[in-house]
Amino acid sequence: MKLSSFNYLVRQGFDNVWKNRVMAFASFCVLLVSLMLVGISCLFYININSIIGGIENKNEVIVYLLEGTTDERVSEIGETLKNIPNISNVTLYTKEEAFDDLKKKMDDYTEVFNSLGNDNPLPDAYRIRVSDISLMEDTLRATEQIPDVEYVSSPDAFIEVLTESRRVLTILASAIILAMLIVSMVIISNTTRASVFSRRREISIMQSVGATKSFIRFPFFVEGMINGFTAGLFATLLTWFSYDSLVDLLGRFDILSTIGLGNVIPYGDIALWVTLAYLIAGSFIGALGSVLSTRVHLKHRAANM
Amino acid sequence: MVELKNVCVTYESTGVEALSDFSLKVEDGEFAFVIGRSGAGKSTLIKLLLKELDANRGEVYVNGYDLVKMKKHKVPEFRRTIGVVFQDYRLIDTMTVYENIAFVLRVIDAPMKQIKKRVPYVMSLVGLQDKADCYPSELSGGEQQRCALARALVNDPALLIADEPTGNVDPELAYELVELLKGINDCGTTVLMVTHAHEMVRHFGGRIINISEGEVVFDEVIGGAEIEAQ
Repeated sequence: MKLSSFNYLVRQGFDNVWKNRVMAFASFCVLLVSLMLVGISCLFYININSIIGGIENKNEVIVYLLEGTTDERVSEIGETLKNIPNISNVTLYTKEEAFDDLKKKMDDYTEVFNSLGNDNPLPDAYRIRVSDISLMEDTLRATEQIPDVEYVSSPDAFIEVLTESRRVLTILASAIILAMLIVSMVIISNTTRASVFSRRREISIMQSVGATKSFIRFPFFVEGMINGFTAGLFATLLTWFSYDSLVDLLGRFDILSTIGLGNVIPYGDIALWVTLAYLIAGSFIGALGSVLSTRVHLKHRAANM
Repeated sequence: MVELKNVCVTYESTGVEALSDFSLKVEDGEFAFVIGRSGAGKSTLIKLLLKELDANRGEVYVNGYDLVKMKKHKVPEFRRTIGVVFQDYRLIDTMTVYENIAFVLRVIDAPMKQIKKRVPYVMSLVGLQDKADCYPSELSGGEQQRCALARALVNDPALLIADEPTGNVDPELAYELVELLKGINDCGTTVLMVTHAHEMVRHFGGRIINISEGEVVFDEVIGGAEIEAQ
């Protein structure tokens, strides 16, 4: 294909958007709604995930060492803990710190503590945090097997609830996103098919004067891509506006921190990815929908000739 | 050249045999009227010649292409050798007169220089030079018909098929249109004109092919009123 023909077909695609503006507007609306349905479902999912992640990060496991463990051995155990996969943070909690904290917490019993003098009954310990609490059991097992570790304390019930919540949420969110995708694809496919069908006469004329299938399809491809891109752009703006408004509203009444869910992702952190995803998905779905519908129409026509 | 040898076409959906053992030969540079009642097989013949329909049996040759053995991807290339004027004009509503005519040249990847030269030429040939920027909906029936004719001619086709081109225009315009087709034929283009207008056929005379129930029942050259007057 010559460059002049390529330019002509691209121009035709742009012209067709305006010439077939009613169907173009219908496709645009359908794409916009579909993109937003899927986009908002995804944003909802990643935010809930981030909130759960935030709660998970607050988990703390304490590894108590055997009484009498030498300082050198304590350091070695610290290194071993750092090398265990899934442990994200290791902090030494010396028996002196533990004793001081205990004294502060139980200040009514100062006399009892004073009677102990320098005799500290508490062991050295490590505070650790895990990256993925669903792997907590394996991590605890590995920790318990380190020599000189006496006991590992972890919030088992809390972890179980969180792991289960995340599992249910993942299944639920995947199902919603999948359902939205299917619904969107069906609506988009029907709209583009209707758009192509409304121009079947034009297509048949093009064929009768010897236009090849690719020559007929190309302007539809450009047209679909323009519709999709525009829908993506509007979806970005609408999502941005509604997301920010919602976060503002929740922030104004301090709703999220009140219920302990302060980890909503600020739009600025995800703006680039959301914009790119909307624009790419919009253009791709728009172009693909148009091309497939034209292809099906041409095939169907050829079969009926 | 158009040649059909013992062609049979049966519509699967209805079981109707539209053409049966149909044979016809039209030499290069000829002008022939194809007449016949509704349902005689004229439209089927046109569809066959445009490769919009396949024959169940027989051989079909048009402009050196064997339509029976033709691969699908060759169909667009073949159609570019034919100019067609349809009864309902079949102009693209969203394109101007100029764009409708130029579209045929765009399809064959013609250079811009050629498009700019050829399109105004054929528009002036059919008297539409002042209507270049009009849309089909802004044209009269006669003007639309002439636009369809210009589109059929712009590619300088070897064969011009006119399907009831005078069906939607008044008698005066119809005679003008046939005169125009005759003039095009004089330049060497083979013209096959399908029509119902027996009066007009008698007036112009020439080769008449009469089809009835899917068969050629009459194929002769007759002298028309115009010819007799000469």
